[in-house]
Amino acid sequence: MGTKLLETPAPLAVGDILIGREGPVTPKQLVDYGSGFLSSAIGRPVVVGANIHTDVEAAKKSGLEAPIVDGMLSTNYLSNMMTRYFGRAYVENGSLRTKFIKPIPALMDIKVRGKVVRKTMQPTGAMRYTLDVWVEDPDGNMLVVGDATVDTP
Amino acid sequence: MLGGYIHDLEPGDVLKPVRYVLTAEQIAWYADANEEDGDWFHSDANPWGKTVRPPTMIHSDKMRILEANVDKERRIAGMTGEGPDLTSDARIHYEYFAQQHSPAYVGEEMVVTCRIIDKYIKRGREYLHYYMEVHTGDGRLVTSYNDLTLLRYQKAE
Repeated sequence: MGTKLLETPAPLAVGDILIGREGPVTPKQLVDYGSGFLSSAIGRPVVVGANIHTDVEAAKKSGLEAPIVDGMLSTNYLSNMMTRYFGRAYVENGSLRTKFIKPIPALMDIKVRGKVVRKTMQPTGAMRYTLDVWVEDPDGNMLVVGDATVDTP
Repeated sequence: MLGGYIHDLEPGDVLKPVRYVLTAEQIAWYADANEEDGDWFHSDANPWGKTVRPPTMIHSDKMRILEANVDKERRIAGMTGEGPDLTSDARIHYEYFAQQHSPAYVGEEMVVTCRIIDKYIKRGREYLHYYMEVHTGDGRLVTSYNDLTLLRYQKAE
């Protein structure tokens, strides 16, 4: 069995930093991502073909120097982080926005992060957390930026 | 324009809805692909008592509905190597924005709808804005989603 997720949100204050996945995304992980994603969409197991995420020649054909990480994979890393910190509330009412501002080359060390920027009481009695979320390179340059919200009980 | 390629889609186009039943396999494939090993997505040992799909899974629905509506391109077939070679017409996903409204459970029917909101050129690059919703078969809204995609990606000079 994998990670045991927590139902109750973690106690977080404005300014707290969320820590998500760290490390490189390997070419194998990019193939696994493409294959799993497509299998889910098709409803049967398939293996992804050559594209800018899985194949050097396909990447070069599109003006890239090497395969890049699929933007949705980095979005999913951010979503996984949100699930771990906010639990059930994120799955039931969370929002997540990401902008892919720079390509992420395969094998680049990345860090997935979030920061609580606001907590506001809602008329329903829920506490709304607003976060900045991002993926950065080893020098701290932003690769993916975005924001997220979650209403917690 | 429906029935052609993705780059033929125009503002106002309403795609034909897609219906399917959510299975444990679909959820597991998607979760595993995204390195999501959380138990809620792999078993019914969770607060709802039923396996739920990951919040981002509407992106898989985007592929489903494009496959059903963009007849000449057959995006999924192309990506599995079983369809047309699309590597010369690469697209870059630029923005993802999903709002969850309720969880979706294994065994539920999903109804995916999509319309094209906008298509525009900015700094010489052409963007397509999709708006999607996923409901259950009995009408419960699961996810609403805005997607901005850069068409015909070529490296900037």
